[in-house]
Amino acid sequence: MAEIKFEHVSKSYGETHVVKDLQLHIRSGERLVLLGPSGCGKSTTLRMIAGLEEITAGKLFLGNCEMTKVPSGERDVAMVFQNYALYPHMTVAKNITYGLSVQKVPKLEIKKRLELALEMLQLNGLENRLPKDLSGGQRQRVALARAVVKRSKFFLLDEPLSNLDAKLRVTARKELVNIHERFGQTFVYVTHDQIEAMTVGQRIAIMNEGRLQMIDTPENVYHKPANIFTAQFIGSPPTNIIPVKWEGRVLWIGSQQFNMNEAWEEQIVQAGCTEVVLGIRPEHLQLTKDPVPDALQCTVINVENQGRSYGVYLQLNETEIIALSDNGAWIPGETVYVQAALERMHLFDKATTETIGYPEGVHADDHLHQHECVH
Amino acid sequence: MRTRLQIGGIWHVVLILFLVLMLYPLIYALGNSFKSLSESYGTTLNVLPKLFTLENYQAFFNSLPVIRITLNTFFLGAVTTIVKLVTSFLAAYAFVYFRVKYKPALYFLLISTIFVPFTVTMIPNYLFISRLGLIDSVWGAILPQLADAIGIFLITQSMRGIPYSLIEVARLDRLPHRRIMLDIVLPLVRPAVTSTGIWFFITTWNEYVWPVLILKSTEQYTLPLALQMYISAEGGTNFTVAMAVSVVTMAIPLALYIMFQRYIIGTFASSGIK
Repeated sequence: MAEIKFEHVSKSYGETHVVKDLQLHIRSGERLVLLGPSGCGKSTTLRMIAGLEEITAGKLFLGNCEMTKVPSGERDVAMVFQNYALYPHMTVAKNITYGLSVQKVPKLEIKKRLELALEMLQLNGLENRLPKDLSGGQRQRVALARAVVKRSKFFLLDEPLSNLDAKLRVTARKELVNIHERFGQTFVYVTHDQIEAMTVGQRIAIMNEGRLQMIDTPENVYHKPANIFTAQFIGSPPTNIIPVKWEGRVLWIGSQQFNMNEAWEEQIVQAGCTEVVLGIRPEHLQLTKDPVPDALQCTVINVENQGRSYGVYLQLNETEIIALSDNGAWIPGETVYVQAALERMHLFDKATTETIGYPEGVHADDHLHQHECVH
Repeated sequence: MRTRLQIGGIWHVVLILFLVLMLYPLIYALGNSFKSLSESYGTTLNVLPKLFTLENYQAFFNSLPVIRITLNTFFLGAVTTIVKLVTSFLAAYAFVYFRVKYKPALYFLLISTIFVPFTVTMIPNYLFISRLGLIDSVWGAILPQLADAIGIFLITQSMRGIPYSLIEVARLDRLPHRRIMLDIVLPLVRPAVTSTGIWFFITTWNEYVWPVLILKSTEQYTLPLALQMYISAEGGTNFTVAMAVSVVTMAIPLALYIMFQRYIIGTFASSGIK
């Protein structure tokens, strides 16, 4: 099978530790996205799979074989580079087939694979052009075609769309998913763009400062973030993190109280937690001008037009939070009330920043269907 | 529009001046090589001969085995250039793509040999060649020149400009170094290799001091050594013959340069990345 397993893998350059004790199991044939801010170690992780970076400690398995020290050429991986890495002096067709011809793949077979790749990626008619005569999108597709014709079990992509403009990126994303659905390789995709991660990934592995933060489906990454970093990294604007004092079923925010139910209280107790932090996404906060039971009183700081909605910056006691609102009729300085549904809140252990978990009934399942449609 | 034309005009005048400065010695040599010695001394400022004569060329061809000497020079130039390019390319490849301990220090050490003057290595090299019994052999003139830090430096610089991801793609395709070198790196550094090669060839072609130490018999002479025979203090200067030998000496590198000119320009335009 074509699974990829990292066992306690670390990578350092001298004193700089880029990847720390990575435990990652990528399933055979899945589309996994490595997501994280720049410098989080995601590209290094991908390059370790390809054998382009040496592994400092730990073990890497591709399929059932340990590959920790195997040279990259013997790993049967195909990779698409961020800068496409097309050979500038070779035509499109030559770029795509060169690797195959060196490996003595029969000529007829090369021709067959080339034709299929050209067809799939709409490169027909461009075979004899040089990379310099192609547009950015075409170059990117040639790079994809070159990786596709290898028919490798492992398909690695290092920010393949980051040099394309926003419009092309949307179509290119679909192309990538098509390729995967056609060939079923184990797909590992590095990006720093969360929309790309959400749309391409069947699972997302989020990394920060060399550590794996969370690996789960896009739904769970969004709805049940494993820690404060994930909660804030996924979603835009980021999740509001509010310091609270926990007392039974009440979370105190300064002198204001936020009432929870029994399920959440039990969850905190079960987690063995003493101090918690509250997280609520801006899109899950409802704003009203009039006081409502269980709503928190805030002052409007300013309002930002974000096109689709308005970002309303609020002062909630000592904390500044942001809420998304459909209308922009909020006046800086005025007192407003926010409320959030209990199933939309997240609680994190203040000491470890990890989630305390979610009580029964808070599931991402109800949102699953919606996301499948995006695919 | 008018000022632009005027500026263009000024530039043309300057360029034409430089062109005349560059071409005058060449035309002067060419013209005098077809003059008789007396005419040359009599009408110094006349560039072109009044009486066209081939006697200088005849004198040169009659007194020395010119074909042999030209072939010697060509052989010395070609072998030195080709081998030096190969060693420079291989060394540059190793310096750029191999992981070697103390690489920066080794590279620095090698490059610093550029600053060692020829006169310092002349005597040890001579002794070495003489013990190998290669005095008066073209191989003796070739041997100490087969590797050159300047060549390594120039090709290394050009190779460093190749995006490393191209090499990584090749590694993922399990390409052996031979294929990476010949199919990927060489075409991309070809302009640097060509211009370095032209430069190697011209310097070796014109080289005088080292060959004159090694090559003793006229059979082994190169063109610059032949030229020296007509302007030496002992033999008395036969000016017009010397001009004829100069023209012969110049002709071959010039022809080669024109042949390879199209390789020097271009190719760099097509990087294909972004």
